[in-house]
Amino acid sequence: MSETDSAQVKRAPAPPAAPRRPAPAGPLAGRWRWVAIALLLAAACYAPFQLVPFHVFQLTMVLVYAVALLGLNLLVGHAGQISLGHGAFFAVGAYTTAILLDHWDGMPYPVTLPLAAGVAFLLGLAFGVPAMRLRGLYLALVTLAMAIFLAPLLKRFEELTGGSMGLTLAKPAPPAWSGLAPDQWLYFLTLVVAVAAFLLAHSLLRSRVGRALHALRDNEIAAEVMGVRLSSYKTLAFAWSAMFAGAAGCVYTWVIGFVSPDSFTVNLSITMLAGLVVGGLGTLFGPLLGALFVMFVPSISQDINDAAPGVIFGLLIIAVMYVAPTGLAGLAERLIKKIPRKE
Amino acid sequence: MSTLEVEDLTAGYGDARVLHGIGLTVGEGEICAILGPNGAGKTTLLRALSGMIKARGRVRLGGTDLAGRSPDALARQGIAHVPEGRGTFMPLTVEENLRLGAFVRRGRDGVNADIERIHGYFPVLKDRMKQAAGSLSGGEQQMLAIGRALMSRPRLLLLDEPSLGLAPLVTRELFRIVQAINAEEQTTVVVVEQNAHLALGIAQQAHVLETGRIVLSGTAEQIRADEQVAQSYLGYRV
Amino acid sequence: MAGFLQQVVEGLGAGAIYASLALALVLIYQFTGIVNFAQGELAMFSTYIAWQCVAAGLPFWLALVLTLVVSFAGGMLIERVIIRPVEGAPELTLVIVTVGLFIFVNAAAGWIWTFLIKDFPNPFPGGVLEAGGIHVSISTLGVLGVVAVVMGLLYLLFRYTKIGLGMRAVATNPSSARLVGIRVGWMLALGWGLAATVGAVSGVLVAPVLFLEPNMMGGVLIYAFAAATLGGFDSPLGAVVGGLIVGVAETLAGAYIGVIGSDLKVGVPLVIIVVVLLLRPQGLFGRAVVERA
Repeated sequence: MSETDSAQVKRAPAPPAAPRRPAPAGPLAGRWRWVAIALLLAAACYAPFQLVPFHVFQLTMVLVYAVALLGLNLLVGHAGQISLGHGAFFAVGAYTTAILLDHWDGMPYPVTLPLAAGVAFLLGLAFGVPAMRLRGLYLALVTLAMAIFLAPLLKRFEELTGGSMGLTLAKPAPPAWSGLAPDQWLYFLTLVVAVAAFLLAHSLLRSRVGRALHALRDNEIAAEVMGVRLSSYKTLAFAWSAMFAGAAGCVYTWVIGFVSPDSFTVNLSITMLAGLVVGGLGTLFGPLLGALFVMFVPSISQDINDAAPGVIFGLLIIAVMYVAPTGLAGLAERLIKKIPRKE
Repeated sequence: MSTLEVEDLTAGYGDARVLHGIGLTVGEGEICAILGPNGAGKTTLLRALSGMIKARGRVRLGGTDLAGRSPDALARQGIAHVPEGRGTFMPLTVEENLRLGAFVRRGRDGVNADIERIHGYFPVLKDRMKQAAGSLSGGEQQMLAIGRALMSRPRLLLLDEPSLGLAPLVTRELFRIVQAINAEEQTTVVVVEQNAHLALGIAQQAHVLETGRIVLSGTAEQIRADEQVAQSYLGYRV
Repeated sequence: MAGFLQQVVEGLGAGAIYASLALALVLIYQFTGIVNFAQGELAMFSTYIAWQCVAAGLPFWLALVLTLVVSFAGGMLIERVIIRPVEGAPELTLVIVTVGLFIFVNAAAGWIWTFLIKDFPNPFPGGVLEAGGIHVSISTLGVLGVVAVVMGLLYLLFRYTKIGLGMRAVATNPSSARLVGIRVGWMLALGWGLAATVGAVSGVLVAPVLFLEPNMMGGVLIYAFAAATLGGFDSPLGAVVGGLIVGVAETLAGAYIGVIGSDLKVGVPLVIIVVVLLLRPQGLFGRAVVERA
């Protein structure tokens, strides 16, 4: 009796980590949410014509990370499963693209996107099958071990991956009709992928599947009793989120034109999780805000000290878990909610 | 002088209030039985008394106000609670379980002497000292739990459904021992029990609880004699 | 044969280090149900403290004692300040908080001591003993000895002291422990303090081998995870046995399985974790837990 008793004491009283209710009736619900998104999109289309190439590149990278975080958000924010190794799927997408472009001359680069996403999806499925038997923290362990194992694995298969030297590739050039500069072209390519990914994630979450994932997050055992086929949804959530990361990795290769094992260390995985937590687990805009953090916190704070980004991220994550489990996005929604009341 | 005084005690879980203004006094060295149907709040009352759940109101033990203290502080004040499910430390040995009961006390000699004393009440534990507590039978675990509580030399012993899940013979034996302990050590006891017949057999006074309120109080004889009570709350005909 | 035994001995030396960090992980898991992803980083930070003391001119062993004391206090402080507010929260929250701690401690060490590699003094003399064609360095023996001593001290603490008994009570049944008058919060803090101390030992042992830098423990941590998973997250003995097995398995796989070689050895803990979790999730020495909502 006391065995289960102690287990209960350790786990039972549960203030939610992720929002229990995604607050569909929030201030950004319905039409206003779409207006906000339309405005954002308009700004996103206008920005590259006003910025210097380096800033356009930075924005492009924000979008790349946002796609990866969308996937991570599906898994962590919506299904409540922990992954400390999502950088590995990102890397798989990036390397699949790089290898395809490197080994087949004349490979049209748009083709690499579905292929990279597909490979990551399949790998996610393969890992998702054992993962479905692992509860919370063990999944975190396995995914972490996977992320650590990836770099030596990439170095080993040198003829394919270029070993520690990596692979250098030509970036997609803008077609003449577009009249765009190379950086702008890459930016718009990424924007298209990001918007598509956003819509896909959104429709996934609005479907039965999304509700099943939420049930899974809120109470695994109850969800199973209620007839949610736990194992298959858990596996699928893992695979989808890997697919988004793979797609992001593919675009990363387009944009950077270079892959090497050192670009995809465990740090990438951990930074991605950190960004998402700060941005807002289980929220609509969390991945985008998180991506801004992943991109700009290091580049701004590194001037102070090499270690400054880590210090900031570490403290922010802990603080966010204490005061605002739904991150900045959740915080913003709460603030917006308060404004009309005052009027 | 009465040992335990409770006034206007309210308690519950989260927003759900279970106890509504309980008041009772238990005299020094008395056994007090708390009776009532399932869900009346009997277990909640004990939990409130031992600090396991937050409660409002006044709880005094020997004149000291104890309201709002944590369970470990209350244990140091002399309240020993044998909770629902017995609270056994399963993987630890019987001896370790007993020694944990004396955790709030200082000095070794007294503790060893008390273990002897517990063996006197529960001889069966003596042969099992090095065994894992989880390997004991239900009745033995209940004895161990009471023994553990006694190790703290409590001023107030709270027993939650000691008969739960035990065979009638074992239960009767257990109640006989509780009575002996009370007689020999003058320990004040509050016992929550479904089996009203047994509890009234050893108690001096009793309270009947229904939906979080005391609906009837009296001496054990009075309660037993009240035919209506017997039928509606205690579930047997006189 | 001698070659094989030689590999086993070397594996044991590595395994002892994994065992000590795994021991630290298990100590915390037992009391709080938390897998502390920051354990390796805390050990690394402790090692820097030792390095700083030695650099300031203290003799090694004095520096070590000082480091252990500071680590113990630091571990308790972290529990009280950082972990206490999320006690009882869901696993996702706990994992994220310890990952946050991981990132913070790693960066803080980098900030204070830079990311440049530092030489860490080896407490044991050089030299090699030989018996039956097998060579054992004194430093390997020293590492094994230290881990054995730590294990022994913990055993004495838990088995024969009142505090140890109280800690075990908290680990098995916190609510009942509270009822017998144990200050559970302090026991949890003590658990973190002990874990940080044991972790500090593993950091100091590994530093002469790997060189001291902020990312030193990242690799060791994953082996320690494998060791704790193999032995069972709630069994200190299991952590030590698991650590030794993982060390030997890793060394043998690197030496005798051609595909693996020395560079892919880090795949060994991944395989061990996955296989154990699928076949015997509670580990070799762990108790199976009945899951209830």
